[in-house]
Amino acid sequence: MIQVTQEVRSGWQVLSVTGRADGECADALEAALKSAVETNPKVAADFSALDYISSAGLRAVLQAARAAEGRQTEFAVCSLSPPVKKVFDMSGLHHVLRIHGELPC
Amino acid sequence: MLTMLEEVVLLAVDEHTGNLRSAREFSTAYALVGAVFFDLALARKLDTDTESIQIIDRTPTGNATLDRVLQLMDSKPQLTTVREWIEHIFHQRGDLEGEALASLTAQGIIRHEKSKLLWIIDIERFPLVNNVPQQDVRQRLRDTVLSDGIPDTRDIMLVSIAEPCGLLGYVLTDAQHQARRQRIQMLCGLETISRKVTAAIASLDATMRQAMSRVV
Repeated sequence: MIQVTQEVRSGWQVLSVTGRADGECADALEAALKSAVETNPKVAADFSALDYISSAGLRAVLQAARAAEGRQTEFAVCSLSPPVKKVFDMSGLHHVLRIHGELPC
Repeated sequence: MLTMLEEVVLLAVDEHTGNLRSAREFSTAYALVGAVFFDLALARKLDTDTESIQIIDRTPTGNATLDRVLQLMDSKPQLTTVREWIEHIFHQRGDLEGEALASLTAQGIIRHEKSKLLWIIDIERFPLVNNVPQQDVRQRLRDTVLSDGIPDTRDIMLVSIAEPCGLLGYVLTDAQHQARRQRIQMLCGLETISRKVTAAIASLDATMRQAMSRVV
């Protein structure tokens, strides 16, 4: 299960994602992220409370980043928890996405 | 929409002669297993993490090849890692290429021609009847490799299967292939399945080199 909460901080729409981003929740994660990037000029995904991410979860993040790129929305992936950072590092997603150690706001 | 397996096999059809390009036979066989896993992942039947693979939905997809593999996986819960499953399906793969060719023929994209060479050797060709799907696959591959944009999931999978099969060389010029090597490697590393396919191919290559050196 994942939970996504949203708030506005210094002009950024911040989505805090909690739980496990796996095959069962990937559609929900993608929908939440895509909806945010389609309606806001700056979006930050806070993954500090995300415990686990599978390939399906990574694809959801990538698809949202692709949608952001198409709309010229700033999309930042931030504060990866250690297990999630390990998965991002192994996949090489840092070559494709903007990943921040901390929230930009 | 074509499956990933069908797209890769279609890419292997020579658009001028209808012959199948199969430069690296075992690599291609491993990569086709990877293509089936990608199809099952896109159909939300499988999910993977850095090592393991799980079935998340056991209901059939309606595609005979994918459902056969899904059923096989469901019958072996003791196998849990992506690597184990690639090896297992590789040995149980049947004729993934033949099934994809039959499906492409049934969809009117290619036709199946049989002939004899010197009245003895069977020759099979698969000339294109409709070249639009192959052109589309080739264009998507070119766009994904040559651009610097964030790629679509399906196109990442396609690149990461086409590369170990040696099929990117038929889509890109040598200069493009060389110049975009870093991008291709990055795309091939994004998915666990393709990383494990590449590792399986490397391991097979090493085993074969070792066996050859013993023979010599």
